[in-house]
Amino acid sequence: MNRTALFAREQIRTPFTLVMLIAVPAVFVVASAGVLAEFARALGGGLAGEAASALGAGWAAAFIAGTLGFFQACSARGADRRLALAGAGPARVAASRICASVALAVVASAAGFAALELRTGIAHPGHAALAVLAFALVYLSVGVLVGSLITAPLEGSLAVCFVFLLDVFSGPGMTEHAAPYSVSRKAADILIAAGLGEGSATGDWIKLGLVVVAALAAAFAVFVLSARSRA
Amino acid sequence: MGTGPLAAAAGRPGPPTARVLLVDEVVKRFRRGPPWNRRSAAVLRGASLEVRAGELVGLVGENGSGKSTLMQIVVGLLPRDGGRVERPERLGYCPQTPLLWDKLTATEHFELFAEAYRLDAEQAARSRDALVAELGFVKYVDYRVEELSGGTRQKLNLALALLHDPELLLLDEPYAGFDWETYLRFWAMAERRRAGGMGILIVSHLLAERDRLTRVYELRDGRCEVLA
Repeated sequence: MNRTALFAREQIRTPFTLVMLIAVPAVFVVASAGVLAEFARALGGGLAGEAASALGAGWAAAFIAGTLGFFQACSARGADRRLALAGAGPARVAASRICASVALAVVASAAGFAALELRTGIAHPGHAALAVLAFALVYLSVGVLVGSLITAPLEGSLAVCFVFLLDVFSGPGMTEHAAPYSVSRKAADILIAAGLGEGSATGDWIKLGLVVVAALAAAFAVFVLSARSRA
Repeated sequence: MGTGPLAAAAGRPGPPTARVLLVDEVVKRFRRGPPWNRRSAAVLRGASLEVRAGELVGLVGENGSGKSTLMQIVVGLLPRDGGRVERPERLGYCPQTPLLWDKLTATEHFELFAEAYRLDAEQAARSRDALVAELGFVKYVDYRVEELSGGTRQKLNLALALLHDPELLLLDEPYAGFDWETYLRFWAMAERRRAGGMGILIVSHLLAERDRLTRVYELRDGRCEVLA
């Protein structure tokens, strides 16, 4: 089995990960869409109905991927550097880490999208699926970046949750004056549009693509720094 | 180059073999505290030592004397502030704290390291099977690291360092957690490797088996001295 598959397997062997893959989409999309809409009303936002469910799918994927990204970064410390020094090299080890993380983000977004499909049968499934994946990939990088700064599992997971909550409550649809430059802004815009049965402009997709590429590049850099020799 | 320890090493009996490790006047300082109140503590102040092929060399010192720091500098895990290190490409490193992945099995660790060492499948399998038999943990190879005892983790830690039959083996407190039988097996294994031409450096705060060693350095006040 190759390095990427082993790194992915390492994460899947945590029972908590499997519980999250099922429970988080169920909670965010199936059970909490109405609650999200009520929060939005209270904060002056206009999120409601299927748009709230669609955004919930994105947040579900983001939450899972962010947490998994954090634990990938934690796991990468120490043993990854030993492997890189043994001859695998930091770039190859980091590439395997990022591929394993992306594979897990794809699974997380598939779980979020499946919950959305089951609940609403969304009008633009292709757009929604891609935007949910973008949410997951961006948050994967958020988790990895947090993991590079905070080593303790409890404090690190709380920091990921803190970023996540700030982003949720300042995002589009949630308040009257949504934060213009949050990491998930474009993905949220596209997902809300898909929930309302509308497509999104090519420019929005390009911007989203750039955000995702930048986020993954940052995560890759973190993994390289984590695995490289200090000599 | 430092004169004391290396000169003393050169004076030992027997024909000299190829040098596999040279640590020459290595300096290391650790900086602590915020930028406006930065404190610097020198741990290594010109440490020098050498290991030749077929030598089993010890490095002792009190807790906090800088033994593991020196080892990490040699391996490349820490940068040095001065001095020179020459070491071979084919190096085996057994860290004091096993650097392993908790959720992967011993077999999966061997797969990862065999690929890193660029061993072909046959070489890797032969070496792995010999090592797990030699260290006595055949029945645990399909257990995850998190399920292993501390001693078995340490055996895996050591086996990974030996998988590619390195020219130089660096062992940092290698027998922590070993039972008596495994401890004896470890020394027998180390002597077999030494006799086969491997250079071995063992770092420990307590080295009881000095008769087995070619030479012992003591790290004191940031410098290495050869013990009589």
